[in-house]
Amino acid sequence: MTEFVTKPGVKNLQHPGEKLITTHCCYCGMQCGMHIRLNEKTGKVVGVEPRYDWPVTLGKMCPKGVTAYQTIDHPERITKPLIKKNGEFVESTWDEALDLIEKNFKSLQGKHGKDAVSVFGGVSMTNEKCYLVGKYARVALGTRFVDYNGRFCMSSAAGGFMKTLGIDRGSTLPWPELEHTDCFFMAGTNTAECHPTTIQWLWKARDKGAKMIVADPRETPTARIADVHLDLKAGTDSALANGMMHLIIKEGYVDEEYVNERCNNYEELKASVEKFTPEYTSEITGVSIEKLVKAAHIYGKSPRSVMMFARGVEQQAKGVDNVTLYTSMALLRGQIGKFASGVATFTGQGNGQGGREHGQKADALPGYRKIDNPEHVKYVSSVWGIDPSEMPKAGVSAYEMFDEIQAGNIRAMHVICSNPAVSAPNNNYIWDSFNKLDFMVVSDFFLSETAEFADVVLPASSWAEDEGTTTNLEGRVIRIRKVKDPIGESKTDWEILKLIAERMGKGSFFNYNNPRDIFEEFRVASKGGKADYSGITYERIEKEDGIFWPCPSEDHPGTPTMFQESFGTPDGKANLAAVEWQEPDENPSNEFPHILTTGRVVFHYLSGSQTRRTDFLMEQCPEPYAEMHPHLASKYALQDGDNVYLETKRGSMTVKVKLTKAIREDHVFIPYHWGKELSVNKLTNPALDPTSRMPEFKVCAVKLKKV
Amino acid sequence: MKKVMYLEFERCIGCRSCQAACRECGGHDAKERNYVEYIDFFESRQTYPMMCMQCKDPACAKVCPANAIQITEEGVVLSAMEEKCIGCRNCTFGCPFGIPKFDFEENKMYKCDMCYDRTKYDISPMCASVCPSDAIRFIDHDEMMELRRRRTQMNLIEGKKPSQNDKWQYVPEFFGVYSD
Repeated sequence: MTEFVTKPGVKNLQHPGEKLITTHCCYCGMQCGMHIRLNEKTGKVVGVEPRYDWPVTLGKMCPKGVTAYQTIDHPERITKPLIKKNGEFVESTWDEALDLIEKNFKSLQGKHGKDAVSVFGGVSMTNEKCYLVGKYARVALGTRFVDYNGRFCMSSAAGGFMKTLGIDRGSTLPWPELEHTDCFFMAGTNTAECHPTTIQWLWKARDKGAKMIVADPRETPTARIADVHLDLKAGTDSALANGMMHLIIKEGYVDEEYVNERCNNYEELKASVEKFTPEYTSEITGVSIEKLVKAAHIYGKSPRSVMMFARGVEQQAKGVDNVTLYTSMALLRGQIGKFASGVATFTGQGNGQGGREHGQKADALPGYRKIDNPEHVKYVSSVWGIDPSEMPKAGVSAYEMFDEIQAGNIRAMHVICSNPAVSAPNNNYIWDSFNKLDFMVVSDFFLSETAEFADVVLPASSWAEDEGTTTNLEGRVIRIRKVKDPIGESKTDWEILKLIAERMGKGSFFNYNNPRDIFEEFRVASKGGKADYSGITYERIEKEDGIFWPCPSEDHPGTPTMFQESFGTPDGKANLAAVEWQEPDENPSNEFPHILTTGRVVFHYLSGSQTRRTDFLMEQCPEPYAEMHPHLASKYALQDGDNVYLETKRGSMTVKVKLTKAIREDHVFIPYHWGKELSVNKLTNPALDPTSRMPEFKVCAVKLKKV
Repeated sequence: MKKVMYLEFERCIGCRSCQAACRECGGHDAKERNYVEYIDFFESRQTYPMMCMQCKDPACAKVCPANAIQITEEGVVLSAMEEKCIGCRNCTFGCPFGIPKFDFEENKMYKCDMCYDRTKYDISPMCASVCPSDAIRFIDHDEMMELRRRRTQMNLIEGKKPSQNDKWQYVPEFFGVYSD
């Protein structure tokens, strides 16, 4: 396999004594292409070179991407297993650490049953590893309690797509087609800060006259350039979408032929949006009637439009409803399954797409199979070489695992590639739960806030120290190349899982020598499933600039555009959503009079475990802040830079105030990338969506006090 | 050098990727030489990038008493030569755009050199390479002239007239930096 991949005629700067290794960024779902610079003499990573010929990002990178390489040889990397003795971490050998894990896992499972040990996975790792986490939980540990941080990230999008379209692929179209789109309707997505390299495609389209409609309580750098900024109240997306559909139907913008041929429930939808007149919608959402009407006309008249959304609409107790409604907006206009049009969610985590297809989820098996379907269990069991009766039943969602800890049903947890001590809502409850565990193992490459609670910390490799595949936000399966060997005594996640499996007496099921062995098994395991990877090989990915799943055979070209002929539902038709508007779980009251919403900044990624250790990024954004309108601040006599105390029903924190008029007057925004006393997730609401079990990070009621 | 740097301020999303990338350039000692600033954060999140204009008759070089600021044959204005720079900081005050920076530890001036180690081979500078919104571009002179006319064309097609709200679309929102 080639390490440095480039197309003829593309020039890169090659420094003497260095080699370039072609890979992708470790951070968000854009998976921007990059070459890593490696000093051949010292074997150290020294920098990054743009990958101009990667078709999705064309060499562009955000500041996180440019500095991503700095975490690889970082001085704070964990290089040896750590065991907590008398409250202090002590470096140990792998044998000692594994002995301790084996002893505790076996004794806890002996005393309390197999399900006493749980696994908390993550999707910032390769498909190979994500696949193995599910198998590790079910085969090596035999537990039903496995789930992953995708519940905090995008399970509402998955649930919504499953309901309406029958298959959950983040984007129904490839990104380079966005250039030819006429209108982008973007709800709850601050693309400019969270997926910055997408902006180039939006501008390419705008240069030809494309329009942008952005729904967001804040005038984000994305909303700033919108033709219409729908400045809605957080948590009112379903009313906005219903209101837009009311206007689309009333103004005759529905593609009747498409809807009649390819969709169910049109009459029900018509009836349910009937009452969402611009007046009623405006009353709920706080968006002016004028803007609603303007947005509906622009969206309705555009021949080719893409409906895009992200965590803003998904991280709500009605996240699935929001997704089904926005998707229905695209269906009414007959957009899904066509060139340069469709629906897309911006995948937050690097492998958020791939990681949720491969059976890390409490109720899922590889290839998007279901654990409550006996046929699916039978097939996957045959690939794994176990008896179907040995397959554990479905577990519970990520946040609900902490309820199980509190109830005493989960006694031990292995956290892999995740930092729920920062990223889960209602932090105080999470921390208390970690303290209640009898035994906790964390695999990570930095000592994260979660790792600090652990009894054993296993040093894992970073993304550049192993090879494999990820699936980007388009649904394109791509190659991550190994740049160098793991630092110190750290091991790759799959090696760690294999070692523990061996200790649990299940080594024969984990007979892998390299990630490719896992990929080959995973291709078989996903065969025939909705997310079929069986036709994808490492060689094909390299040759064809990645391959879009489903790809059921080696001579299949992959599927860049989804649903061209039919949808993934049993009858092949999309299900339009007829859903009532429901208010958020928590609303402003006399005691807690304002709305708190959370989100990202461009300089940090998720729980910040990596970006808070990167100098450039910390110089730009060292700490969280409470962003609010000067109008709101004046009620509390708050000036820019003052400290403000914020309190919700669950927790409190004190941060500095940052004033701007680019936010609704009744909202406060705090970014969530910090831990402990700086974690806004102490305040957020864990109300779960009934289908996706995703918490309502985006809306809660808060009170303020000047300190 | 056949290509020019082209800035389109409105596109700037304030990510400061150009600054992070500037530190990555070979001869830059991990110090950035470009700027990204808010126009007024109280009012809007609009930011804009600023970098050296590579002036034809640069004030920084003119006011340098030690003749330390050299201009390459392609017209790129380099950082002060280490052996000549006397650390007087005249250049930082002389530049009308406030571009040159001063390193107090090393006692010398440093500034954008358009990533000369890249651009001399016609490889795009780091800032323009990574800019996610194409606010900074490294393009052919002809393409720049075409882009300059493009906005006006689009406005004519759409029948737009400047108003208070979209003044950004009518003030000269681009800046071409080029040599012969």
